[in-house]
Amino acid sequence: MLNTGCARQSPWQPGILRVNLGTEPPTLDWHLSVDMISFEVIQNIMSGLTQYSNGVDGAKLTCQAACAKKWEVLDGGTRYVFHLRDDIYWTDGKKLTAKDFEYAWQRLIDPATGAAYAHFLYDVINAREINQAQIKDLSKLGAKALDDLTFEVRLNKPAAYFIYLTAGPTTFPMRKDIVEAYPGRWTEPQNIITNGAFKLDSWQHEYKIDLQANEKYFGGRPKIDKIKMFMIPEQSTAFSLYQNDQLDFIDNRSFTTSDIAQCKKDPNFKTQALLRAQYLGLNTLKSPLNDVRVRKALAMSIDKNIFPKILRRQETPMQSWIPPVLTGFKQDSGIAFNPEEGRKLLALAGYPGGKNFPRTEVLYVSREDTKLGLEAIQAELKKNLGISIELVNQEFKVYLTTRKLHPPHMIRASWSADFPDTDNFMSVFTSDSGNNYTGFKNKEYDRLVEAARGELDNEKRALLYSQADKLLCKENAVLIPLYMATQCVLYKPWVHGIDVNALDIQNYRTAYLEGSN
Amino acid sequence: MKEPQKRFLKQFSRMPMACGSLVFILIISVIAILNSLGINLSPYSFDQTSSDILQSPTFAHPMGTDELGRDLLSRVFFGSQLSIGIGIFTAVMSFLIGTVYGAIAGYCRGKVDAILMRIVDVAYALPDLLVMILIGVMIGRGTLGILLALGLVSWRGTARLVRAQFLQLHQEEFIEAARALGQNHLDIICKHMLPNSLGPVIVAVTFTVPMAILSESTLSFIGLGLSPPACSWGTLASDGWRSLRTTPHLIFFPGIFIFMSVLSFNFLGDGLRDALDPRTKASSKQFF
Amino acid sequence: MLLRVVIKRLLAMIPLLLVIATLTFMVIRVVPGGPFDQERNLPPQILANLNAKYHLDKPVLEQYFLYLGRLCHADLGVSYKYVDRTVVDIIKDAFPVSIQLGGAGLLIAVLIGVPLGTIAALRRGTHIDHLAMFVSTMGLSLPLFVVGALLILVFAIWGKALPAALWESPLHAILPALTIAFKPMAYIARLTRASVLEILQKDWVRIARSKGLSESATIIKHVLRNALIPVVTLLGPVSAVMIAGSFVVEIIYAIPGMGRFFVTAVMNRDYDLIMGITLIFSVVLVITNTIVDVLYMILDPRISYE
Repeated sequence: MLNTGCARQSPWQPGILRVNLGTEPPTLDWHLSVDMISFEVIQNIMSGLTQYSNGVDGAKLTCQAACAKKWEVLDGGTRYVFHLRDDIYWTDGKKLTAKDFEYAWQRLIDPATGAAYAHFLYDVINAREINQAQIKDLSKLGAKALDDLTFEVRLNKPAAYFIYLTAGPTTFPMRKDIVEAYPGRWTEPQNIITNGAFKLDSWQHEYKIDLQANEKYFGGRPKIDKIKMFMIPEQSTAFSLYQNDQLDFIDNRSFTTSDIAQCKKDPNFKTQALLRAQYLGLNTLKSPLNDVRVRKALAMSIDKNIFPKILRRQETPMQSWIPPVLTGFKQDSGIAFNPEEGRKLLALAGYPGGKNFPRTEVLYVSREDTKLGLEAIQAELKKNLGISIELVNQEFKVYLTTRKLHPPHMIRASWSADFPDTDNFMSVFTSDSGNNYTGFKNKEYDRLVEAARGELDNEKRALLYSQADKLLCKENAVLIPLYMATQCVLYKPWVHGIDVNALDIQNYRTAYLEGSN
Repeated sequence: MKEPQKRFLKQFSRMPMACGSLVFILIISVIAILNSLGINLSPYSFDQTSSDILQSPTFAHPMGTDELGRDLLSRVFFGSQLSIGIGIFTAVMSFLIGTVYGAIAGYCRGKVDAILMRIVDVAYALPDLLVMILIGVMIGRGTLGILLALGLVSWRGTARLVRAQFLQLHQEEFIEAARALGQNHLDIICKHMLPNSLGPVIVAVTFTVPMAILSESTLSFIGLGLSPPACSWGTLASDGWRSLRTTPHLIFFPGIFIFMSVLSFNFLGDGLRDALDPRTKASSKQFF
Repeated sequence: MLLRVVIKRLLAMIPLLLVIATLTFMVIRVVPGGPFDQERNLPPQILANLNAKYHLDKPVLEQYFLYLGRLCHADLGVSYKYVDRTVVDIIKDAFPVSIQLGGAGLLIAVLIGVPLGTIAALRRGTHIDHLAMFVSTMGLSLPLFVVGALLILVFAIWGKALPAALWESPLHAILPALTIAFKPMAYIARLTRASVLEILQKDWVRIARSKGLSESATIIKHVLRNALIPVVTLLGPVSAVMIAGSFVVEIIYAIPGMGRFFVTAVMNRDYDLIMGITLIFSVVLVITNTIVDVLYMILDPRISYE
């Protein structure tokens, strides 16, 4: 029935949750997807070996049983054995077996798949070699189905974060018969077979995805019958729809900064801290930023406390690279706001009062919040150091190319955690990282990060990471951390039980609608 | 040629709306020129931030402040130079290229016309957005890129219109007469055909100014506008429209300036058209 | 004779499309950025695999001929973003939406614009004229996104009379069609007025009037018919601009049309999809232009196309 917001109708439709995805998920093939939008859909239709605990306690996420009822970590952390539940069925009635995991992992690592996140499994024996086509035989991968209900993974060396990978969409099981029966089209609603709380009902591209409750879901049928996921790119449009009761649950994608004040008055407005770091990457090879004093001066002269004031989503100002909730965070790992010291350092570097400071560019992709934040930084540096930096706004793909081929003085970038572990952040700035555009190559840093990766003692690990963080942010000022982003959600009074976690994955399996009217 | 000029001025001065528009355009242009010379007419600089965030209009800030506490009045003044500049430049490009191109096609007819019009077809079929992104990418973000992009996509309409007018004029007796009298081609084009096809062309070109001002704002809407802190009315409007409900002053003031200047160019165009066309003399009533 | 013109124009479409295909092909490969550039860098081996899968590792010229070869079989290729969906699939979904939106918009624009312009011209200098021109100037004076936001505010948020966005029923089409029609309507009204005024000065209109023809007969038979010629030339570009420019409207109202797909495709460097949509736009444009020319000949038999 068409709901146009007429007064007589109930403002919500029983059993139907309407949300905004923002944009089209590029793909629902969980080996090919790399973005939050695709993950949001996949997480709701699929279930992996483990799943994240409901993030009631904020960002501290742990892995709990899902398809695997329990698992053992053996041989000093190099062998994992997962024992699957006996009662899991795919949406076509077939039983889930360890073979489905074996196939999925082999396909993920198969160079022919072209999976962007294949390197997640590089800790698994032979994974790197297979993915780089040095070994052709996929069955050589160190991940095997021992029998129908036992899945074994062998690693090259211990990896402290490995268990988290089994909760992410990248390692979810996959049906060989389906993938091979509909090459290229198996993710279409009429073909796809899943095992999660919901199933894909229809997909109208660039418009809407409908999910339907999976009656056979092993965790119990969800209370909601149907989820309508609209793709409304324009925030203010989505907010209008929410106001007119056409959407039940919205987040950052559905209101603008100027709407926040109004949203905050609503008792059903919540803010969740995310593992999403916003930073300025400094090009350590390009003058004048090749002088560490200049980099430090810049870092000292930006008051990070302005961000929550301007952006108004309770952002956490940051000085260091490791997020506060993760292993190795220390308040003093970074550079504190100190414009006086900054002016001194800048004078020492040969630019007293910002005089003769060469043309310096910041490259960014235009989005409402990045633009506002950068204009504030621009004003801060002008006020505190007397220098003008130039903001260069580029369209996303051009930005990526420029960043790769002609790295500018500074880039405005963002890093969203793939899994809640410090390694995911620290490995961005290692010498061989493909995401490091700062020109920073430091053997000591690489050594610390590598050592921490295999360290299973949490205290020792924390120490290694905080040393590395200090090296990165305080001593070399390779980047200027700005703030940790947040996810704000706003929901109608009849919406209950939605779980939003620090990785920005929204799970609807526990949601239900209830209320008067 | 004294007589027609006098008549033009007399006609034009009889239209208060057109005259008023001209005055408004002149004022805006003066503000724009002063700004580009670095003379600021408001006490604040366009990129000066303050802690007065998102204030509604007050005595100190007649147009209020934006998300970073910048005075909107000084930003609107600063934005005038880019908006008006872009508008006029594009109109001139469109007029020059379009008229010459359309005149050649419409006068020569036949094969020349066919080839020229197929080129226009191609130019039309390449989406504006693609051309604009391409140029934005090749030249880099900024005024030059936007000017070139707008210039390149704006001439085609004028060309078509001029050609259509010319094709029609070929049928008129006075053109045939001129031809029969052995006047050369250039004379026929410049003395007879161009003046007689100018009416709709001027109307169309008048629309190019606002088209350019608005296209620039659309580019900003897509995220391809000028780099901050530089601003134009278009970027101000595209930044402000989302807050229509919560802080309407952010869209109202840039919007009003866009609206007023577009209105003025239109009235000016109408006025020019009426005053230029000697045949409307008999019925020249006052406009407004 | 008409038929010959139509056939000739349609045949001329083939080289035109070839030129457009070539230009677009070259242009999108000159622009920096490739389809597989993304925030997280892909390992080189995987990037190589992806490029090989879509033949992007071959020399550009070879890619070009491969593309043309496929084009001959009406194969527009596959999208890189909407993984493994063919361009034809996408266009099949999006094209009807855009046609409905554009058609509704064009209809509104013509139905309001032409009468508005004609009345304004006939009542020149009166309040009706001023009002009509003021209304149509408003349509030209505000950015499309502001018009859209205002319409949503008034009719959806305050009035609660129409849906604020989405594409579910004919009711949902009203606001977007109005928004998209705003500009062409104003343009058509103004040009109609200018054109009618011009025709009214012609000797043969005066003669027709002096011969005792009734006012309405004069207007319809002599004035409008001739006055619409410049207006008709606008219809080609106007409909193209409306289809392509529907992007803003499709974003604001969350409508899954061609404009939205096109912009997403450009942003993603989705080469085949850009090509496909560009070619479809071109076909639409050539067809509208042919229709315009035919209308032209019907309206003014003196113009020949030989």
